[in-house]
Amino acid sequence: MHASTELISRYLSGDRSIGADTEWALEAHLESCPVCRARLAEATRSAPGVSALVDRGWRELAPVMAASRPASARRFRGTAWVTPAMVPWLCGAVFVTLLAVVFGSVTDAGSVLFLLAPVVPVLGVAAAWSRGLDPMYELTVATPRAGLALILRRTAAVVMAVLPLLAAGSIVVGVSPLVWLLPSLACTLTSLALGSVIGVERAALGVCVVWLLAFLVPVVARLEALPAHAPWSVPVWGGASFLAGVALVVRGRALTTLAPGFRGLGEQGGL
Amino acid sequence: MEQADEAELVRRVARGDRAAFEVLYRRTAPWLAVRLRRRCADEQIVADVLQETFTAVWRAAGGFAGAAVQGTAVGWLWTIAARRLIDALRSRAKHAQPLPGAAEATIAPAAEEIALAGTVGGELGHALDTLAPELREVLRAMALDGLSVRETATLLGLPEGTVKTRARRARIVMRAAMGKTDGGFATATGLG
Repeated sequence: MHASTELISRYLSGDRSIGADTEWALEAHLESCPVCRARLAEATRSAPGVSALVDRGWRELAPVMAASRPASARRFRGTAWVTPAMVPWLCGAVFVTLLAVVFGSVTDAGSVLFLLAPVVPVLGVAAAWSRGLDPMYELTVATPRAGLALILRRTAAVVMAVLPLLAAGSIVVGVSPLVWLLPSLACTLTSLALGSVIGVERAALGVCVVWLLAFLVPVVARLEALPAHAPWSVPVWGGASFLAGVALVVRGRALTTLAPGFRGLGEQGGL
Repeated sequence: MEQADEAELVRRVARGDRAAFEVLYRRTAPWLAVRLRRRCADEQIVADVLQETFTAVWRAAGGFAGAAVQGTAVGWLWTIAARRLIDALRSRAKHAQPLPGAAEATIAPAAEEIALAGTVGGELGHALDTLAPELREVLRAMALDGLSVRETATLLGLPEGTVKTRARRARIVMRAAMGKTDGGFATATGLG
């Protein structure tokens, strides 16, 4: 069932007396029906305003086409796993780890590494999703239902990139990597799950700030030892990871459209 | 080439096929131009957005073809165009120029009953029609155009809080009108 040519010409002439439901249905239909789009294209030839707009657009594109070549598909294939924005993050992670190792070896305060470790993959997730850092953002992720799978792939890439580094660093310093692995997992999953509500960059930065405040401030102020060292913390962090994972899967199912971070992949602010 | 669908055309563009790019332009630019014009009264902005959209398509067609994304090529085009429109309006606002907005919408009963392949059913259509225009604009931006709260606020020149309130009200009205009937519209917009 297609739209009539009459409706299409009224739509294209900017006619406001088309009922709201008809216009909505027509626009939704046009997005999926090539026949009606072709009818629209045909009809624009007799509509001077739109026709001029379209022709002018083509003329302006000629220099662009002459000046640059399309980037090949191969170049984008990796963006399901990594984005260019992650490179500065990786450099930062290496630098921070080296710093922590040096500090740990010199001052025998190996727990500093533990403090920083969970924050590193969380910042990596933020970098992987930051719109500001990735100019090709919409072109690589611009699709409805980009999916939980894409997010998990990128997060996995972040984690795989940084885990060996942190593990090696912490062994050198003498802190068992297992101590910070579960908190790292909990923080990463929490920032993703929270990201489905408020946007991944905000959630990741929020988690980092909360972590640093909760653990760094008392240690620096020499108020108390790190509570997370205690044996009971394994079920605590394990439980937190599990809950965050469940929340992520649940929210991940409500994927609809795209927005910065992945706030828009779930409900759009309550709608 | 005439039989190729838009996704195939984009894949060819990614390989540098200029002829495919022209065919893609001729097929989709009119639709995009009209749809944009119905959201923004300023012809200059629409012209700029159209040009920027297809520039982006030319330069990064591989982004659609190469990354393991789902969704249609046409939907991808609209997503780029919508984001460019929002960016253009945002920079306008930053330079304190008045925002164009769309022309005034008149509320009129549907002049013709057209059943378009199950997109909007009878009762829903009627509910949509009786929705206040400001609520309908918000609903259209978020559910049909796929914009976030912040982007809708930029598009319509409203504060984000107003957008959220209107979205909530629109949802309440639509839910009341829908009752338990027809899941099609509901699932498509996430209201159901």
